[in-house]
Amino acid sequence: MLKTFTIARRELMGLFFSPVAYVVLVVYLLFVGLLFALLVFSPGAVADPGPMFAWNHLALMFVVPFITMALFSEEYRSGRIETLRTSPISDFSIVLGKFLGALAFYCVIIGSSLVYILILSAFGRPDFMPVLTSYFGLVLMGMLMLSIGLFFSACTQHQVLAAISSCAVLVAFGILFQAIGGLLGSIISQPPAWLNTVQRVMTYMSFEPQMQHFSMGLVDTSHVAFFLTGTFFFLMLTYLVLESRKWR
Amino acid sequence: MSSNADIVVKNLTKTYGRFPAVNNISFEVPRGSIVGFLGPNGAGKTTTIRMLTCFLPPTSGTASVAGFDVFSQSMEVRSRIGYLPENAPTYTEMRVQEYLAYRGRLRGISRSTLKQRVESVAEKCWLGERLRWPIGTLSKGYRQRLGIADALLNNPQVLILDEPTVGLDPTQIRETRKMLADLAGQHTVLLSTHILSEVELTCQRVIIIGRGQILAQGTPEELKQESARRNSSGAKLVVEVRGPTQQVKMALGAMPAVENVEVLSDGPVCTLSLSGKLDGALRELIASTVVGRGWALREMRTTGTSLEEFFVQITDPGTAMNQAA
Repeated sequence: MLKTFTIARRELMGLFFSPVAYVVLVVYLLFVGLLFALLVFSPGAVADPGPMFAWNHLALMFVVPFITMALFSEEYRSGRIETLRTSPISDFSIVLGKFLGALAFYCVIIGSSLVYILILSAFGRPDFMPVLTSYFGLVLMGMLMLSIGLFFSACTQHQVLAAISSCAVLVAFGILFQAIGGLLGSIISQPPAWLNTVQRVMTYMSFEPQMQHFSMGLVDTSHVAFFLTGTFFFLMLTYLVLESRKWR
Repeated sequence: MSSNADIVVKNLTKTYGRFPAVNNISFEVPRGSIVGFLGPNGAGKTTTIRMLTCFLPPTSGTASVAGFDVFSQSMEVRSRIGYLPENAPTYTEMRVQEYLAYRGRLRGISRSTLKQRVESVAEKCWLGERLRWPIGTLSKGYRQRLGIADALLNNPQVLILDEPTVGLDPTQIRETRKMLADLAGQHTVLLSTHILSEVELTCQRVIIIGRGQILAQGTPEELKQESARRNSSGAKLVVEVRGPTQQVKMALGAMPAVENVEVLSDGPVCTLSLSGKLDGALRELIASTVVGRGWALREMRTTGTSLEEFFVQITDPGTAMNQAA
Protein backbone atom coordinates (compact mmCIF):
# COMPACT_ATOMS: atom_id res chain seq x y z
CA MET A 1 0.00 0.00 0.00
CA LEU A 2 2.88 2.33 0.83
CA LYS A 3 4.29 1.74 -2.64
CA THR A 4 0.91 2.56 -4.19
CA PHE A 5 1.08 5.98 -2.54
CA THR A 6 4.67 6.39 -3.66
CA ILE A 7 3.51 5.95 -7.24
CA ALA A 8 0.47 8.19 -6.71
CA ARG A 9 2.69 10.94 -5.32
CA ARG A 10 5.05 10.73 -8.25
CA GLU A 11 2.24 10.87 -10.78
CA LEU A 12 0.71 13.89 -9.06
CA MET A 13 4.09 15.60 -9.15
CA GLY A 14 4.63 14.59 -12.78
CA LEU A 15 1.25 16.09 -13.73
CA PHE A 16 2.10 19.37 -12.05
CA PHE A 17 5.40 19.45 -13.93
CA SER A 18 3.77 19.08 -17.33
CA PRO A 19 2.56 22.21 -19.14
CA VAL A 20 -0.54 20.33 -20.29
CA ALA A 21 -1.83 20.38 -16.74
CA TYR A 22 -1.96 24.15 -16.60
CA VAL A 23 -3.63 24.45 -19.98
CA VAL A 24 -6.23 21.97 -18.81
CA LEU A 25 -6.76 23.91 -15.59
CA VAL A 26 -7.28 27.18 -17.49
CA VAL A 27 -9.67 25.60 -20.00
CA TYR A 28 -11.73 24.09 -17.19
CA LEU A 29 -11.89 27.34 -15.21
CA LEU A 30 -12.91 29.26 -18.33
CA PHE A 31 -15.69 26.81 -19.11
CA VAL A 32 -17.04 26.72 -15.55
CA GLY A 33 -16.71 30.53 -15.43
CA LEU A 34 -18.85 30.71 -18.53
CA LEU A 35 -21.51 28.46 -16.99
CA PHE A 36 -21.35 30.54 -13.84
CA ALA A 37 -21.76 33.83 -15.68
CA LEU A 38 -24.55 32.62 -17.96
CA LEU A 39 -26.59 30.31 -15.74
CA VAL A 40 -25.91 31.27 -12.14
CA PHE A 41 -24.64 34.76 -11.59
CA SER A 42 -27.39 37.23 -12.41
CA PRO A 43 -28.90 40.04 -10.33
CA GLY A 44 -31.96 39.10 -8.40
CA ALA A 45 -31.68 35.37 -9.17
CA VAL A 46 -31.66 32.66 -6.51
CA ALA A 47 -28.12 31.94 -5.30
CA ASP A 48 -28.16 28.38 -6.64
CA PRO A 49 -24.89 27.13 -8.17
CA GLY A 50 -26.62 23.91 -9.31
CA PRO A 51 -26.64 24.57 -13.10
CA MET A 52 -22.93 25.22 -12.97
CA PHE A 53 -22.29 21.71 -11.69
CA ALA A 54 -24.90 19.98 -13.79
CA TRP A 55 -23.03 20.78 -17.02
CA ASN A 56 -19.50 20.32 -15.71
CA HIS A 57 -19.12 16.98 -17.50
CA LEU A 58 -19.15 18.75 -20.87
CA ALA A 59 -15.76 20.26 -20.04
CA LEU A 60 -14.46 17.34 -18.04
CA MET A 61 -14.92 14.83 -20.84
CA PHE A 62 -12.32 16.80 -22.79
CA VAL A 63 -10.15 17.62 -19.77
CA VAL A 64 -9.77 14.14 -18.29
CA PRO A 65 -8.17 12.50 -21.38
CA PHE A 66 -5.36 15.05 -21.12
CA ILE A 67 -4.75 14.08 -17.51
CA THR A 68 -4.68 10.35 -18.17
CA MET A 69 -3.17 10.05 -21.65
CA ALA A 70 0.47 9.86 -20.55
CA LEU A 71 0.02 7.73 -17.43
CA PHE A 72 0.92 4.44 -19.11
CA SER A 73 1.64 5.43 -22.74
CA GLU A 74 4.66 7.47 -21.76
CA GLU A 75 5.97 4.64 -19.59
CA TYR A 76 5.81 2.27 -22.55
CA ARG A 77 7.34 4.73 -25.00
CA SER A 78 10.26 5.71 -22.77
CA GLY A 79 10.96 2.17 -21.56
CA ARG A 80 10.40 3.15 -17.91
CA ILE A 81 7.77 0.44 -17.74
CA GLU A 82 10.71 -1.94 -17.49
CA THR A 83 12.17 -0.33 -14.38
CA LEU A 84 8.69 -0.11 -12.92
CA ARG A 85 7.64 -3.69 -13.52
CA THR A 86 10.93 -5.21 -12.46
CA SER A 87 10.62 -3.46 -9.09
CA PRO A 88 9.05 -5.49 -6.28
CA ILE A 89 5.58 -4.04 -6.72
CA SER A 90 2.42 -5.70 -7.99
CA ASP A 91 0.74 -4.64 -11.21
CA PHE A 92 -2.42 -3.76 -9.37
CA SER A 93 -0.52 -1.39 -7.10
CA ILE A 94 0.88 0.31 -10.19
CA VAL A 95 -2.61 0.72 -11.69
CA LEU A 96 -4.08 1.91 -8.40
CA GLY A 97 -1.17 4.27 -7.71
CA LYS A 98 -1.49 5.93 -11.08
CA PHE A 99 -5.24 6.17 -10.68
CA LEU A 100 -4.98 7.79 -7.26
CA GLY A 101 -2.33 10.25 -8.48
CA ALA A 102 -4.57 11.30 -11.35
CA LEU A 103 -7.57 11.50 -9.02
CA ALA A 104 -5.68 13.84 -6.70
CA PHE A 105 -4.86 16.08 -9.64
CA TYR A 106 -8.48 15.94 -10.82
CA CYS A 107 -9.62 17.02 -7.35
CA VAL A 108 -7.30 20.03 -7.54
CA ILE A 109 -8.85 20.95 -10.88
CA ILE A 110 -12.48 20.67 -9.82
CA GLY A 111 -11.54 22.27 -6.50
CA SER A 112 -10.49 25.37 -8.40
CA SER A 113 -14.16 26.00 -9.20
CA LEU A 114 -14.68 26.81 -5.51
CA VAL A 115 -13.64 30.32 -6.52
CA TYR A 116 -17.06 30.79 -8.09
CA ILE A 117 -18.82 29.54 -4.96
CA LEU A 118 -16.86 32.09 -2.97
CA ILE A 119 -17.94 34.84 -5.37
CA LEU A 120 -21.52 33.68 -5.11
CA SER A 121 -21.46 33.62 -1.32
CA ALA A 122 -20.10 37.15 -1.32
CA PHE A 123 -23.29 38.32 -3.01
CA GLY A 124 -25.88 35.90 -1.68
CA ARG A 125 -26.45 33.01 0.68
CA PRO A 126 -26.25 29.78 -1.33
CA ASP A 127 -27.26 26.50 0.27
CA PHE A 128 -24.03 24.60 0.90
CA MET A 129 -25.44 21.09 1.09
CA PRO A 130 -26.13 20.82 -2.67
CA VAL A 131 -22.63 22.22 -3.26
CA LEU A 132 -21.25 19.38 -1.17
CA THR A 133 -23.28 16.72 -2.99
CA SER A 134 -22.27 18.30 -6.32
CA TYR A 135 -18.61 17.93 -5.49
CA PHE A 136 -19.27 14.41 -4.28
CA GLY A 137 -20.91 13.66 -7.63
CA LEU A 138 -18.08 15.29 -9.54
CA VAL A 139 -15.51 13.14 -7.72
CA LEU A 140 -17.52 9.98 -8.43
CA MET A 141 -17.93 10.87 -12.10
CA GLY A 142 -14.24 11.80 -12.23
CA MET A 143 -13.29 8.36 -10.93
CA LEU A 144 -15.13 6.70 -13.79
CA MET A 145 -13.73 9.13 -16.36
CA LEU A 146 -10.17 8.71 -15.09
CA SER A 147 -10.42 4.92 -15.06
CA ILE A 148 -11.60 4.99 -18.68
CA GLY A 149 -8.70 7.28 -19.59
CA LEU A 150 -6.27 5.08 -17.69
CA PHE A 151 -7.53 2.02 -19.56
CA PHE A 152 -6.89 3.58 -22.97
CA SER A 153 -3.50 4.84 -21.87
CA ALA A 154 -2.57 1.29 -20.92
CA CYS A 155 -3.61 0.10 -24.39
CA THR A 156 -1.14 2.08 -26.47
CA GLN A 157 2.22 3.78 -26.37
CA HIS A 158 0.85 6.73 -28.32
CA GLN A 159 -0.47 9.43 -26.00
CA VAL A 160 -2.55 11.10 -28.69
CA LEU A 161 -4.26 7.85 -29.58
CA ALA A 162 -5.02 7.24 -25.90
CA ALA A 163 -6.44 10.74 -25.52
CA ILE A 164 -8.64 10.51 -28.62
CA SER A 165 -10.02 7.05 -27.77
CA SER A 166 -10.84 7.95 -24.18
CA CYS A 167 -12.36 11.23 -25.36
CA ALA A 168 -14.62 9.31 -27.76
CA VAL A 169 -15.89 7.03 -25.00
CA LEU A 170 -16.40 9.92 -22.59
CA VAL A 171 -18.35 11.85 -25.21
CA ALA A 172 -20.52 8.75 -25.60
CA PHE A 173 -21.28 8.78 -21.87
CA GLY A 174 -21.57 12.55 -21.78
CA ILE A 175 -23.76 13.29 -24.80
CA LEU A 176 -24.27 10.40 -27.18
CA PHE A 177 -26.16 7.87 -25.06
CA GLN A 178 -28.64 10.45 -23.94
CA ALA A 179 -29.06 11.83 -27.45
CA ILE A 180 -29.70 8.36 -28.87
CA GLY A 181 -32.12 7.63 -26.06
CA GLY A 182 -33.99 10.87 -26.74
CA LEU A 183 -33.98 10.27 -30.47
CA LEU A 184 -35.40 6.76 -30.13
CA GLY A 185 -38.23 8.11 -28.02
CA SER A 186 -39.10 10.91 -30.39
CA ILE A 187 -39.09 9.20 -33.78
CA ILE A 188 -41.04 6.08 -32.84
CA SER A 189 -44.50 6.99 -31.67
CA GLN A 190 -45.42 3.72 -29.97
CA PRO A 191 -42.12 2.07 -29.09
CA PRO A 192 -42.10 -1.66 -28.26
CA ALA A 193 -41.15 -2.68 -24.73
CA TRP A 194 -37.58 -3.66 -25.54
CA LEU A 195 -36.93 -0.27 -27.10
CA ASN A 196 -38.18 1.37 -23.93
CA THR A 197 -35.67 -0.69 -22.01
CA VAL A 198 -32.86 0.34 -24.34
CA GLN A 199 -33.87 3.94 -23.91
CA ARG A 200 -33.91 3.62 -20.14
CA VAL A 201 -30.46 2.00 -20.09
CA MET A 202 -29.08 4.70 -22.37
CA THR A 203 -30.39 7.41 -20.10
CA TYR A 204 -29.17 5.62 -16.99
CA MET A 205 -25.63 5.47 -18.41
CA SER A 206 -25.54 9.16 -19.32
CA PHE A 207 -23.68 11.61 -17.14
CA GLU A 208 -26.11 14.48 -17.46
CA PRO A 209 -29.20 13.15 -15.64
CA GLN A 210 -26.96 11.79 -12.90
CA MET A 211 -25.18 15.09 -12.45
CA GLN A 212 -28.52 16.92 -12.42
CA HIS A 213 -29.48 14.88 -9.38
CA PHE A 214 -26.23 15.48 -7.56
CA SER A 215 -26.40 19.23 -8.25
CA MET A 216 -29.89 19.35 -6.74
CA GLY A 217 -28.56 17.78 -3.57
CA LEU A 218 -29.85 14.29 -4.35
CA VAL A 219 -27.53 11.38 -3.64
CA ASP A 220 -29.11 8.42 -5.40
CA THR A 221 -27.55 5.06 -4.51
CA SER A 222 -28.06 3.80 -8.06
CA HIS A 223 -25.89 6.64 -9.35
CA VAL A 224 -23.21 6.06 -6.74
CA ALA A 225 -23.28 2.35 -7.62
CA PHE A 226 -23.04 3.15 -11.33
CA PHE A 227 -19.91 5.25 -10.95
CA LEU A 228 -18.22 2.92 -8.45
CA THR A 229 -18.84 -0.27 -10.43
CA GLY A 230 -17.84 1.48 -13.64
CA THR A 231 -14.59 2.64 -12.07
CA PHE A 232 -13.86 -0.82 -10.72
CA PHE A 233 -14.63 -2.37 -14.10
CA PHE A 234 -12.25 -0.12 -16.01
CA LEU A 235 -9.50 -0.41 -13.38
CA MET A 236 -9.75 -4.19 -13.68
CA LEU A 237 -9.61 -3.91 -17.47
CA THR A 238 -6.50 -1.74 -17.16
CA TYR A 239 -4.92 -4.33 -14.91
CA LEU A 240 -5.75 -7.09 -17.40
CA VAL A 241 -4.30 -5.11 -20.29
CA LEU A 242 -1.11 -4.54 -18.32
CA GLU A 243 -0.88 -8.23 -17.45
CA SER A 244 -1.59 -9.33 -21.01
CA ARG A 245 1.26 -7.21 -22.40
CA LYS A 246 3.66 -9.68 -20.85
CA TRP A 247 2.40 -12.51 -22.97
CA ARG A 248 2.65 -10.85 -26.33
CA MET B 1 28.06 -25.59 -8.83
CA SER B 2 24.27 -25.27 -8.73
CA SER B 3 24.14 -24.55 -5.02
CA ASN B 4 26.72 -21.85 -5.45
CA ALA B 5 25.18 -20.19 -8.50
CA ASP B 6 23.09 -17.04 -8.29
CA ILE B 7 21.63 -17.34 -11.77
CA VAL B 8 20.61 -20.75 -13.04
CA VAL B 9 19.03 -20.98 -16.48
CA LYS B 10 17.74 -24.30 -17.78
CA ASN B 11 16.42 -24.88 -21.31
CA LEU B 12 15.02 -21.38 -21.45
CA THR B 13 13.00 -20.54 -24.55
CA LYS B 14 11.09 -17.45 -25.61
CA THR B 15 9.21 -17.23 -28.86
CA TYR B 16 7.54 -14.16 -30.30
CA GLY B 17 4.79 -15.59 -32.44
CA ARG B 18 6.71 -18.23 -34.37
CA PHE B 19 10.08 -16.54 -34.08
CA PRO B 20 12.30 -18.07 -31.42
CA ALA B 21 14.12 -15.10 -29.88
CA VAL B 22 15.79 -17.33 -27.31
CA ASN B 23 16.03 -20.99 -28.11
CA ASN B 24 16.65 -23.55 -25.39
CA ILE B 25 19.58 -21.95 -23.60
CA SER B 26 21.17 -23.09 -20.34
CA PHE B 27 23.87 -21.45 -18.29
CA GLU B 28 24.87 -20.62 -14.73
CA VAL B 29 26.44 -17.60 -13.11
CA PRO B 30 28.45 -18.39 -9.97
CA ARG B 31 27.92 -16.24 -6.88
CA GLY B 32 30.13 -13.17 -6.68
CA SER B 33 31.44 -13.34 -10.22
CA ILE B 34 31.17 -10.97 -13.16
CA VAL B 35 29.91 -12.70 -16.25
CA GLY B 36 29.80 -11.08 -19.65
CA PHE B 37 26.79 -11.79 -21.80
CA LEU B 38 27.95 -11.21 -25.31
CA GLY B 39 26.24 -11.24 -28.65
CA PRO B 40 25.53 -9.27 -31.78
CA ASN B 41 22.44 -7.07 -31.92
CA GLY B 42 19.26 -9.09 -32.05
CA ALA B 43 20.91 -12.22 -30.66
CA GLY B 44 18.48 -12.55 -27.76
CA LYS B 45 20.51 -10.85 -25.02
CA THR B 46 17.82 -8.40 -23.98
CA THR B 47 15.08 -11.02 -24.19
CA THR B 48 17.05 -13.33 -21.90
CA ILE B 49 17.70 -10.49 -19.48
CA ARG B 50 14.03 -9.52 -19.50
CA MET B 51 13.12 -13.07 -18.53
CA LEU B 52 15.69 -13.06 -15.72
CA THR B 53 14.30 -9.79 -14.36
CA CYS B 54 10.71 -11.11 -14.44
CA PHE B 55 9.68 -8.59 -17.10
CA LEU B 56 8.80 -11.31 -19.62
CA PRO B 57 7.62 -14.81 -18.78
CA PRO B 58 9.54 -17.61 -20.52
CA THR B 59 7.72 -19.67 -23.16
CA SER B 60 9.32 -22.79 -21.74
CA GLY B 61 12.20 -23.77 -19.51
CA THR B 62 13.09 -22.37 -16.10
CA ALA B 63 15.32 -19.71 -14.68
CA SER B 64 16.13 -18.93 -11.08
CA VAL B 65 17.80 -15.83 -9.72
CA ALA B 66 19.19 -15.66 -6.18
CA GLY B 67 17.61 -19.05 -5.56
CA PHE B 68 14.07 -18.05 -6.54
CA ASP B 69 12.13 -18.96 -9.66
CA VAL B 70 11.56 -15.98 -11.93
CA PHE B 71 8.03 -17.04 -12.77
CA SER B 72 6.52 -18.39 -9.57
CA GLN B 73 8.53 -16.33 -7.06
CA SER B 74 8.77 -13.13 -9.03
CA MET B 75 8.49 -10.74 -6.05
CA GLU B 76 11.35 -12.45 -4.21
CA VAL B 77 13.50 -12.25 -7.32
CA ARG B 78 12.60 -8.62 -7.98
CA SER B 79 13.50 -7.53 -4.47
CA ARG B 80 16.94 -9.16 -4.76
CA ILE B 81 18.04 -7.84 -8.13
CA GLY B 82 19.31 -4.52 -9.36
CA TYR B 83 18.52 -3.99 -13.02
CA LEU B 84 19.77 -1.41 -15.47
CA PRO B 85 17.65 -1.62 -18.62
CA GLU B 86 18.97 -0.56 -21.99
CA ASN B 87 19.15 3.26 -22.28
CA ALA B 88 18.51 3.68 -18.54
CA PRO B 89 15.10 5.38 -18.79
CA THR B 90 14.17 7.82 -15.99
CA TYR B 91 11.71 10.63 -15.29
CA THR B 92 13.42 13.67 -16.79
CA GLU B 93 11.46 16.21 -14.77
CA MET B 94 12.65 14.83 -11.43
CA ARG B 95 15.84 15.74 -9.63
CA VAL B 96 18.51 13.09 -9.16
CA GLN B 97 18.00 12.90 -5.40
CA GLU B 98 14.22 12.83 -5.71
CA TYR B 99 14.36 10.09 -8.30
CA LEU B 100 16.66 7.91 -6.22
CA ALA B 101 14.47 8.41 -3.16
CA TYR B 102 11.39 7.51 -5.22
CA ARG B 103 13.05 4.38 -6.56
CA GLY B 104 14.22 3.46 -3.09
CA ARG B 105 10.72 3.67 -1.68
CA LEU B 106 9.37 1.60 -4.57
CA ARG B 107 11.96 -1.03 -3.86
CA GLY B 108 10.98 -1.21 -0.24
CA ILE B 109 13.91 0.50 1.44
CA SER B 110 12.87 1.63 4.91
CA ARG B 111 12.50 5.34 5.60
CA SER B 112 15.30 5.34 8.17
CA THR B 113 17.96 3.98 5.85
CA LEU B 114 16.77 5.60 2.61
CA LYS B 115 18.73 8.85 2.92
CA GLN B 116 21.92 7.02 3.76
CA ARG B 117 21.45 4.54 0.87
CA VAL B 118 20.83 7.34 -1.63
CA GLU B 119 23.98 9.15 -0.52
CA SER B 120 26.02 5.99 -0.59
CA VAL B 121 25.06 4.96 -4.16
CA ALA B 122 25.39 8.55 -5.38
CA GLU B 123 28.94 8.58 -4.06
CA LYS B 124 29.72 5.20 -5.60
CA CYS B 125 28.51 6.36 -9.01
CA TRP B 126 30.11 9.83 -8.84
CA LEU B 127 26.78 11.60 -8.77
CA GLY B 128 27.53 13.59 -5.63
CA GLU B 129 27.69 17.05 -7.15
CA ARG B 130 24.67 16.42 -9.40
CA LEU B 131 22.20 15.38 -6.70
CA ARG B 132 20.10 18.56 -7.00
CA TRP B 133 20.08 18.63 -10.81
CA PRO B 134 16.94 17.88 -12.82
CA ILE B 135 17.58 14.62 -14.70
CA GLY B 136 16.58 16.27 -18.00
CA THR B 137 19.67 18.50 -17.83
CA LEU B 138 22.11 15.63 -17.28
CA SER B 139 24.34 14.26 -20.01
CA LYS B 140 23.95 10.71 -21.29
CA GLY B 141 26.87 9.58 -19.18
CA TYR B 142 25.36 10.92 -15.98
CA ARG B 143 22.01 9.35 -16.77
CA GLN B 144 23.70 6.02 -17.31
CA ARG B 145 25.39 6.39 -13.91
CA LEU B 146 22.05 7.29 -12.38
CA GLY B 147 20.66 4.05 -13.79
CA ILE B 148 23.51 2.10 -12.22
CA ALA B 149 22.99 3.96 -8.93
CA ASP B 150 19.31 2.98 -9.07
CA ALA B 151 20.27 -0.65 -9.66
CA LEU B 152 22.57 -0.55 -6.60
CA LEU B 153 20.06 1.14 -4.27
CA ASN B 154 18.81 -1.93 -2.45
CA ASN B 155 22.30 -3.44 -2.28
CA PRO B 156 21.12 -6.31 -4.48
CA GLN B 157 22.49 -9.81 -4.43
CA VAL B 158 22.40 -9.92 -8.22
CA LEU B 159 23.09 -7.06 -10.60
CA ILE B 160 21.88 -7.30 -14.18
CA LEU B 161 23.18 -4.57 -16.45
CA ASP B 162 22.10 -4.23 -20.06
CA GLU B 163 24.84 -2.41 -21.98
CA PRO B 164 26.01 -0.21 -19.11
CA THR B 165 28.68 1.64 -21.08
CA VAL B 166 26.61 2.57 -24.11
CA GLY B 167 26.88 6.29 -24.83
CA LEU B 168 29.71 6.93 -22.41
CA ASP B 169 32.96 8.62 -23.37
CA PRO B 170 36.26 6.71 -23.03
CA THR B 171 37.05 8.14 -19.59
CA GLN B 172 33.61 7.25 -18.28
CA ILE B 173 33.86 3.77 -19.78
CA ARG B 174 37.11 3.25 -17.92
CA GLU B 175 35.55 4.56 -14.70
CA THR B 176 32.53 2.32 -15.11
CA ARG B 177 34.79 -0.68 -15.63
CA LYS B 178 36.65 0.18 -12.47
CA MET B 179 33.38 0.43 -10.63
CA LEU B 180 32.21 -2.95 -11.95
CA ALA B 181 35.48 -4.52 -10.85
CA ASP B 182 34.86 -3.10 -7.35
CA LEU B 183 31.35 -4.54 -7.33
CA ALA B 184 32.50 -8.09 -8.04
CA GLY B 185 32.70 -10.16 -4.93
CA GLN B 186 29.94 -8.21 -3.19
CA HIS B 187 27.43 -8.80 -5.98
CA THR B 188 26.90 -11.30 -8.74
CA VAL B 189 27.00 -9.35 -11.98
CA LEU B 190 25.58 -10.29 -15.36
CA LEU B 191 26.75 -7.75 -17.88
CA SER B 192 25.34 -7.62 -21.38
CA THR B 193 27.40 -5.92 -24.00
CA HIS B 194 28.68 -6.14 -27.53
CA ILE B 195 31.93 -4.37 -26.75
CA LEU B 196 34.56 -7.09 -26.63
CA SER B 197 37.37 -5.21 -24.98
CA GLU B 198 35.03 -4.53 -22.10
CA VAL B 199 34.46 -8.21 -21.57
CA GLU B 200 38.13 -9.06 -21.83
CA LEU B 201 38.95 -6.49 -19.18
CA THR B 202 36.17 -6.93 -16.65
CA CYS B 203 34.61 -10.36 -16.91
CA GLN B 204 35.72 -13.60 -15.34
CA ARG B 205 33.49 -15.62 -17.62
CA VAL B 206 31.91 -14.99 -20.98
CA ILE B 207 28.73 -16.38 -22.49
CA ILE B 208 28.37 -15.78 -26.20
CA ILE B 209 24.87 -15.88 -27.60
CA GLY B 210 23.82 -15.67 -31.21
CA ARG B 211 20.53 -16.30 -33.03
CA GLY B 212 18.94 -17.22 -29.71
CA GLN B 213 21.43 -19.92 -28.84
CA ILE B 214 24.52 -20.16 -26.72
CA LEU B 215 27.48 -20.43 -29.03
CA ALA B 216 30.28 -20.63 -26.50
CA GLN B 217 31.04 -20.06 -22.85
CA GLY B 218 34.15 -20.00 -20.69
CA THR B 219 36.81 -17.64 -19.41
CA PRO B 220 38.15 -15.12 -21.94
CA GLU B 221 41.43 -17.12 -21.99
CA GLU B 222 39.62 -20.39 -22.71
CA LEU B 223 37.72 -18.80 -25.54
CA LYS B 224 40.91 -17.47 -27.07
CA GLN B 225 42.45 -20.92 -26.92
CA GLU B 226 39.31 -22.40 -28.39
CA SER B 227 39.58 -19.88 -31.17
CA ALA B 228 43.18 -20.89 -31.83
CA ARG B 229 42.19 -24.58 -31.85
CA ARG B 230 39.22 -24.14 -34.17
CA ASN B 231 41.02 -21.88 -36.47
CA SER B 232 44.50 -23.45 -36.48
CA SER B 233 45.11 -22.33 -40.03
CA GLY B 234 44.16 -18.82 -39.06
CA ALA B 235 46.37 -18.56 -35.99
CA LYS B 236 49.91 -17.50 -36.83
CA LEU B 237 53.09 -16.88 -34.91
CA VAL B 238 54.92 -13.89 -36.33
CA VAL B 239 58.66 -13.82 -35.56
CA GLU B 240 60.98 -10.94 -36.31
CA VAL B 241 64.70 -11.87 -36.34
CA ARG B 242 67.94 -10.08 -37.31
CA GLY B 243 69.79 -12.72 -39.30
CA PRO B 244 70.17 -14.37 -42.73
CA THR B 245 66.62 -14.99 -43.96
CA GLN B 246 67.10 -18.41 -45.59
CA GLN B 247 68.99 -19.89 -42.65
CA VAL B 248 66.44 -18.59 -40.19
CA LYS B 249 63.65 -20.03 -42.30
CA MET B 250 65.33 -23.46 -42.44
CA ALA B 251 66.09 -23.49 -38.73
CA LEU B 252 62.52 -22.66 -37.79
CA GLY B 253 61.00 -24.91 -40.43
CA ALA B 254 62.97 -27.84 -39.04
CA MET B 255 61.11 -27.71 -35.74
CA PRO B 256 58.60 -30.56 -35.46
CA ALA B 257 55.71 -28.38 -34.24
CA VAL B 258 55.98 -26.03 -37.20
CA GLU B 259 53.96 -26.99 -40.25
CA ASN B 260 54.59 -24.09 -42.53
CA VAL B 261 56.91 -21.08 -42.67
CA GLU B 262 56.25 -18.04 -44.77
CA VAL B 263 58.59 -15.09 -45.27
CA LEU B 264 56.76 -11.84 -44.83
CA SER B 265 59.71 -9.49 -45.28
CA ASP B 266 63.32 -9.95 -46.29
CA GLY B 267 66.47 -8.00 -45.46
CA PRO B 268 68.89 -7.70 -42.56
CA VAL B 269 65.84 -8.03 -40.32
CA CYS B 270 63.42 -10.66 -41.56
CA THR B 271 59.84 -11.34 -40.53
CA LEU B 272 58.45 -14.87 -40.73
CA SER B 273 55.02 -16.20 -40.16
CA LEU B 274 54.68 -19.71 -38.71
CA SER B 275 51.69 -21.98 -38.47
CA GLY B 276 51.30 -25.31 -36.74
CA LYS B 277 51.02 -26.29 -33.10
CA LEU B 278 51.73 -22.89 -31.63
CA ASP B 279 52.15 -23.45 -27.91
CA GLY B 280 54.41 -22.00 -25.28
CA ALA B 281 57.02 -24.71 -25.69
CA LEU B 282 57.45 -23.80 -29.34
CA ARG B 283 57.96 -20.16 -28.50
CA GLU B 284 60.63 -21.04 -25.94
CA LEU B 285 62.36 -23.30 -28.43
CA ILE B 286 62.36 -20.57 -31.08
CA ALA B 287 63.81 -18.04 -28.64
CA SER B 288 66.63 -20.34 -27.54
CA THR B 289 67.41 -21.44 -31.11
CA VAL B 290 67.59 -17.89 -32.46
CA VAL B 291 69.77 -16.69 -29.62
CA GLY B 292 71.92 -19.85 -29.77
CA ARG B 293 72.73 -19.22 -33.42
CA GLY B 294 73.88 -15.73 -32.62
CA TRP B 295 70.95 -13.99 -34.30
CA ALA B 296 68.82 -11.41 -32.52
CA LEU B 297 65.16 -12.00 -31.68
CA ARG B 298 63.27 -8.76 -32.01
CA GLU B 299 59.64 -9.70 -31.65
CA MET B 300 57.34 -12.71 -31.38
CA ARG B 301 53.52 -12.42 -31.40
CA THR B 302 50.49 -14.54 -32.16
CA THR B 303 47.77 -13.27 -34.46
CA GLY B 304 44.32 -14.56 -35.22
CA THR B 305 43.43 -15.58 -31.66
CA SER B 306 41.78 -12.48 -30.23
CA LEU B 307 38.37 -12.72 -28.63
CA GLU B 308 37.10 -10.43 -31.34
CA GLU B 309 38.09 -12.82 -34.12
CA PHE B 310 36.52 -15.68 -32.21
CA PHE B 311 33.34 -13.68 -31.75
CA VAL B 312 33.11 -12.81 -35.43
CA GLN B 313 33.89 -16.39 -36.35
CA ILE B 314 31.15 -18.01 -34.27
CA THR B 315 28.44 -15.40 -34.62
CA ASP B 316 28.74 -15.09 -38.37
CA PRO B 317 25.82 -17.02 -39.91
CA GLY B 318 28.01 -18.14 -42.84
CA THR B 319 30.51 -20.02 -40.67
CA ALA B 320 27.79 -21.59 -38.61
CA MET B 321 26.16 -22.98 -41.70
CA ASN B 322 29.46 -24.38 -42.92
CA GLN B 323 29.95 -26.15 -39.62
CA ALA B 324 26.47 -27.59 -39.73
CA ALA B 325 26.99 -28.90 -43.26
